[in-house]
Amino acid sequence: MAGWTGTGGRSLRPAGAGTVLVLRLLFLGLLLLLWGLASATVPRGLIPSPATTAQAAARLWAEGRLQTAIGQSLLTYGTGLGAAVLVGIPLGALMGMVRLFGRTLDIFVFALAATPRVAFIPLIIVLLGLGTEAKAMIVFLGAVMPIVLNTYAGVLARDGELIEMARSTGASAARIQLHIVLPGALPFLVVGLRLGATIGLINTVVAELYTAVTGLGGLLALYGNTFRMADYFVIVLALAAIGVIVTESLRLLEGRLSRWRLPDRP
Amino acid sequence: MRAEHVRLDRVSLAFGEVSALKDVSLSLGRDEVVVVLGPSGCGKTTLLRLVAGLIAPDAGRVTVEGAPPRPGEKTALVFQSFRLIPWKSARENVAFALPRLSRAEARQRADRYLELVGLSRFAKSWPAQLSGGMRQRLALARALAAEPEILLMDEPFASLDAQARELMQVELMRLLERRPATVLFVTHSVDEALILADRILLMSPRPGRVVEEVAVPFPRPRRDTDTRALPLYAELRSHLWERLRDMVLNDPGSDFHGRR
Ligand SMILES: Nc1ncnc2c1ncn2[C@@H]1O[C@H](COP(=O)(O)OP(=O)(O)O)[C@@H](O)[C@H]1O
Ligand SMILES: [Mg+2]
Repeated sequence: MAGWTGTGGRSLRPAGAGTVLVLRLLFLGLLLLLWGLASATVPRGLIPSPATTAQAAARLWAEGRLQTAIGQSLLTYGTGLGAAVLVGIPLGALMGMVRLFGRTLDIFVFALAATPRVAFIPLIIVLLGLGTEAKAMIVFLGAVMPIVLNTYAGVLARDGELIEMARSTGASAARIQLHIVLPGALPFLVVGLRLGATIGLINTVVAELYTAVTGLGGLLALYGNTFRMADYFVIVLALAAIGVIVTESLRLLEGRLSRWRLPDRP
Repeated sequence: MRAEHVRLDRVSLAFGEVSALKDVSLSLGRDEVVVVLGPSGCGKTTLLRLVAGLIAPDAGRVTVEGAPPRPGEKTALVFQSFRLIPWKSARENVAFALPRLSRAEARQRADRYLELVGLSRFAKSWPAQLSGGMRQRLALARALAAEPEILLMDEPFASLDAQARELMQVELMRLLERRPATVLFVTHSVDEALILADRILLMSPRPGRVVEEVAVPFPRPRRDTDTRALPLYAELRSHLWERLRDMVLNDPGSDFHGRR
């Protein structure tokens, strides 16, 4: 199985990992080059050069604005995503375990998941105002759906043969759920978490644009509307960095949780 | 004469239209090794699930020591497809089958049985890291670790290659000499049946029923003597083959129906 890297971004073999790092750095260099070229050719300074952007980042940091905005955004994001995890996993698991409960609820969850979440923003503002609660609620609503639905799907995908094996040992229903069904749902759950984290970050920006204008989303609007393009680019890059850090952490977690799949025979 | 351990009294069971078992009666003596031989679809797996207490009959009675069986109480099952928990190590797989022991006791017991089947070195390995033969030994260790009075084995060696299969048969007999148990062993293989059984139950499909009982009187232990060289072995073997062949040729549901 030489060169086998699995699916869903499990950790690469040590030899491949170094190569990928080098290639990624080369690609980053290429992007920076293209960016530099674009900034030189597009007229009227609409695209700031990498150097100008770096200066802008240093200035925003020195003024403390960047940290403040990142802090505000992370608070919104963390609160909403955390609540989505705390609600979504138990709800999805319960829907899968108690079939009548799941069959009753799932159509409503599907309906809610299919409704564009921006549709709820006016309602949320009316109910919760423009503060952190409203923002966290917008993040929560976006992130919770994929977490519920993937946990639900993971529990439903349980292995009937393993369950029969467990029953034959005299295992209780609780023991079967804990040792067979829930661990079996983990790969689905991690996919749900990754989707939830991504949607949650998008909704963080959306929330900051639609409610009281704060955080990275707020700066994005401010700098975009006033054509401060270097500052604007700093914010875009900060958001991209947060996205990469969060999803990469979840991929690392996924790799650790699915080590048992890797056939590295002693 | 052995004391009766397991008894089926005119047991019938249907899945919808399909009659899986019809009027099956049988009795297993304590520490007797009974092999069920029959073509696929004749209800062999269903029979084991009934004795394990995983399903209840539509009609008739299944009893273990006079009472209806309860899963995991006196029986342990070994499956053809191993059914190991892929995210648990070898040791955890065995320990999982011991829900009535404390964690520490279960681990200790698991280690003892891993040792017994020669897998001590692989206690921390995941099933994906083991070969087919090792996985089946692990599945066997898991069943034995529960120290069941009754071992139910559903074509346990069918997915192994010929050599691994023969080694596992010897291994099973060695383990049973150390710690006897009542065994109900399902197989397709006439040779496996003749090597292992005290008694063979021949089953026929549609509806599943027991059509013949054959005593297998070869002396034990059979692993040292060459049982296969005995004249009676050849005689029983060709008799069982013929019965199986007729069944398959005369079964309208079989792929070989009506062939010569
Ligand atoms: N859970 C089930 N649902 C429906 N039909 C089943 C089920 N289990 C077994 N059967 C049917 O019952 C018959 C006997 O099955 P089984 O006991 O698995 O036979 P064997 O193990 O001898 O191959 C077959 O016709 C099979 O299709
Ligand atoms: Mg079967």
